[in-house]
Amino acid sequence: MHIMEGFLPSPWWEIWFLLSIPFIVIGLYQINRLVKENRETLPLLAVAGAFVFVLSSLKLPSVTGSCSHPTGTGLGAILFGPFIASVLGLIVLIYQALFLAHGGLTTLGANVFSMGIAGPIVAYLIYKAGTRAGINTYVTVFFAAALADLFTYVVTSVQLALAFPGEAGFFTAFQAFAAIFAVTQVPLAVIEGAVIALVFKYIVQLKPEILTKLNLLPEATIRKLQEAAA
Amino acid sequence: MTMHRLLEDFAQENALRDVNPGVKILLGLASILLCISSPGPVTPLFIAVSLSAATVGLARIPPRFYARLLLVPASFAVMSIAVILFLTGGGAVLVSIPLPIFTLTVTTGGANLAFLLVARVLGGMCSLFFISLTTPMTDIFTIMQRLRFPTVFIDLAMLIYRFIFVVIDEAGQIYRSQRMRLGYGTFSESIRSFGMLAGALFLRTWESGEHLVRAMDARCYDGRFGLPDEAPPVSPTWALGVVLYLGLVAGISWTTATITLC
Repeated sequence: MHIMEGFLPSPWWEIWFLLSIPFIVIGLYQINRLVKENRETLPLLAVAGAFVFVLSSLKLPSVTGSCSHPTGTGLGAILFGPFIASVLGLIVLIYQALFLAHGGLTTLGANVFSMGIAGPIVAYLIYKAGTRAGINTYVTVFFAAALADLFTYVVTSVQLALAFPGEAGFFTAFQAFAAIFAVTQVPLAVIEGAVIALVFKYIVQLKPEILTKLNLLPEATIRKLQEAAA
Repeated sequence: MTMHRLLEDFAQENALRDVNPGVKILLGLASILLCISSPGPVTPLFIAVSLSAATVGLARIPPRFYARLLLVPASFAVMSIAVILFLTGGGAVLVSIPLPIFTLTVTTGGANLAFLLVARVLGGMCSLFFISLTTPMTDIFTIMQRLRFPTVFIDLAMLIYRFIFVVIDEAGQIYRSQRMRLGYGTFSESIRSFGMLAGALFLRTWESGEHLVRAMDARCYDGRFGLPDEAPPVSPTWALGVVLYLGLVAGISWTTATITLC
């Protein structure tokens, strides 16, 4: 859910920029360190960023018939951690605003916070927790991506309700925004979870060295997953 | 699922290509800020009309394409502005719609705020379109470099920019071949096909990333890209024009602050 240009009044757009900056700074610091260790990282991060952009510019087959887009940032967070995912999210959101007219420049801070920070953190935490608990990897990836999507839209509703609480106050406004967006966002989250889980399956089956290189899954787990599919 | 034509494609060929990019970005950003800080709807509407005229008239962007672009934010705008219309109170009741559980009422306060937001979004989007349709991304990178953005950020952004076009082509090819084999016939099939598309896309782009690493290594890549800084000079006519325009808008904003819809 992108908040459009012009929608957030002062001081809210500034506040969301300020809240997003620390995450971006940590992410840039981490990328700098990775690139110093291994120069190959930068092009591979870029590939992930471009993938997220293109995935989110494709219209998903949607139940409601409205135009809905996957966010794709869940995958970035699982692969590279939430801070680097937030830098990728920032760049992707700038391109979405400039190339596709989704989102905007003053609302960039708010959109980065919901899509590039809040969503990826949820995806990352669920993925870590699920792997530690020994739950099936694909199930974990499904929940990580789907709940990241849901949380993103909850945060967007919070942002809108804070800026426009109306007479009834923040909670009523939040419920109203959340209810109206749920129509498109809840089915979308389920679809996104399924799609990202499928992407993960293809990676495991065809190019598992990506996952071992990023220390995401030990080789034993990958072999087990490959055998289960065969 | 159709591929959008990217705004960037038009920016590469627009008639204002030779105007200094800093001036164009300044005009767009200042207009956005004037839009969202305007207390009345007149200023954003004035900005929407005048910058649309500049984009279509001076930059020679096809009017049909521009008109369709204005519909992009419509679905979000309709949903969220509807919520604000019914939730915001204050003033006399204009409309009252009784529903089984509760009653939806529109007051003058709600109508004014909703109309102001429509105007701001319209003005803001037109300013954003002005930037993205007149200034190619390559020029924006040069500006970022001059503003001392972190090198790693600019490099990553440039690489992502390059890969976006590679990935879009790949996605289009895979999608067309799936479509020809009836891959999007039913809902469950389309989920499966879309997952397959995304998976294949990810692996193919990852491989093209690895190819790029090898190609760059062969050309002695040392961790940073050079950017030619050859922006066209600031022309006095444009500088004066932008200053006068922004002054005019600020003046309008100040004199029309109290004008509302009802």
